[in-house]
Amino acid sequence: MKPEAPVEVEGLRDEPRRHPLIWVVYLLLFAVAVPWYWPTGYRGPLILGLPLWAAVSLGAVVLMALWTGFVIRRWWREED
Amino acid sequence: MESGSGFGTGALVVVGLYLVMMIGVGWIGRLRRQSDSMADFYLAGRSMGLPVLLLTLYATQYSGNTMFGYTGKAYRIGFEWTVSILFMFSIIVGYLLFAPRLVALARRMDFITPGDYIRHRFGSPLLTLLATLLMVYALGNYTLAQLKAMGAAVEGITDGGISSDYGIIALAVIMVVYETLGGMRSVAWTDVIQGVVLLAGFSVLLFLVPGLGGGLTAVVEELSVTAPEMVGAPSLEVCNTWISFVLLLGCGAAIYPQAIQRLYASRSVSVLKRSLMVMAFLPLTTTLIALLCGLTGRVVLPGLEGVETDQILARLCGLIMEQSLAGYWLVVVIFAAALAALMSTADSALLSISSMFTRDIYQVHLRPGATQPELTLVGKIVSWVVVAVLVGIAIGTEKTLVRLLEIKFEVLIQIVPCFFLGLYWRRLQTSVVISGLLAGLAVALGLTIAGQSKLYGFHAGVVGLGVNLLICAAGRLLVPVKEESEA
Repeated sequence: MKPEAPVEVEGLRDEPRRHPLIWVVYLLLFAVAVPWYWPTGYRGPLILGLPLWAAVSLGAVVLMALWTGFVIRRWWREED
Repeated sequence: MESGSGFGTGALVVVGLYLVMMIGVGWIGRLRRQSDSMADFYLAGRSMGLPVLLLTLYATQYSGNTMFGYTGKAYRIGFEWTVSILFMFSIIVGYLLFAPRLVALARRMDFITPGDYIRHRFGSPLLTLLATLLMVYALGNYTLAQLKAMGAAVEGITDGGISSDYGIIALAVIMVVYETLGGMRSVAWTDVIQGVVLLAGFSVLLFLVPGLGGGLTAVVEELSVTAPEMVGAPSLEVCNTWISFVLLLGCGAAIYPQAIQRLYASRSVSVLKRSLMVMAFLPLTTTLIALLCGLTGRVVLPGLEGVETDQILARLCGLIMEQSLAGYWLVVVIFAAALAALMSTADSALLSISSMFTRDIYQVHLRPGATQPELTLVGKIVSWVVVAVLVGIAIGTEKTLVRLLEIKFEVLIQIVPCFFLGLYWRRLQTSVVISGLLAGLAVALGLTIAGQSKLYGFHAGVVGLGVNLLICAAGRLLVPVKEESEA
């Protein structure tokens, strides 16, 4: 089978789908945001009034929002 | 709002004026139209600048459910509902998976509806019609839920003086009037007001509600004693549901037709990019506050069960109103925000339904030679007919209505491969996409009808999407390419 030719779209110079690093970072941050690694029922100390596990999840969301801003600015580029 | 917490005449006049102002804004939208064309009516002439695009995306994405449903959910399950912040954020990541390419294509090809893209990419009237019908069905259900909530809200603030049925009719008429006056321009401009009111409402909630329970720390300490399961980390099965929510919303809400049309309507790509950068942070100002309100409600007003839990926000507002005159007027702001959330979501969905019917069904299948003025007129008539039908259903059915009227994402999400894969996989054939879509739909609906809304914590729609994607991936390798089709 011939390799699949990339679909070119006029007016688009770069986009996030072309950079695997972006998605590796998202995957890692989502893995932190989903609280699978805490013992069930664990609360921990309160951070700004939030249980530790929930504070860590929210922290990961904040990091992802910042990362999103960087990704859009850096890797979503259209023709001038 | 619960019985006994109705507004006085002054507050009702303010709410009434607010609603009349919506029609005024709709009229201004009509005066500012550039041409009698579908692009002008449905996409505001592709002229949306940053404040308008950002606030219309925000007001459209956060519905009345965010205020009432999400606080009720947090009341019932506690910190597990932190997932709501994660899944609302995941919608922006969903956009990054397809929007850059779709927007570039849409600007070149002058797309108006999502169906325009599907027709262009796959060249199949059958697939376009199928996808359009699924989108109309999902949006119809979405609008229906907003209408029902509007009726309940009006009945609550008037202490039953205006029944739910009349409330639904009145608000639906206001909505369809300003929508047909100026189309997307009117809807987006009313969204700007509604978005600001919504942000103000959530700010007021953050300022007032946690204080009812002595502050967040006191609330969580209290819950740790009385309901420790609400503050503890969730089980692995619940974590599966978190992942499922991220997939369901990240894919499903990103391809909501009204959201896609806002991508098309931006003045420039740079405006769209800046809007999405801000949108990534807005779950922290919206769903996080809904979570905190639900948790506070659990401590301040414990013991609510079943559907009563969805009234927790209204009941908390009742407490605030009793405390002071300032509290009373702040609750008026919160109520206006709730109406704003409901109407801004419903009007956008309605406009989208009208555009898809007119463009993808009427123009393509019934009147290919129709002029632009004829098409916009048909679109306006469709809006009124759709509203009449939905109001009839909203009034004529009880909340115990069949589950088929509640499911949205389970259906909508099956169109995801058309966008997420179709824009990138040149070898993806129409027959494969249709097979995947039908198989995914059968799995999602089959599980739902069988009472299995979740499988190992994963939503039925996500399980269906998994099957759908597998078929697309296998088909891409196995089905020979007939003709190179450009995405």
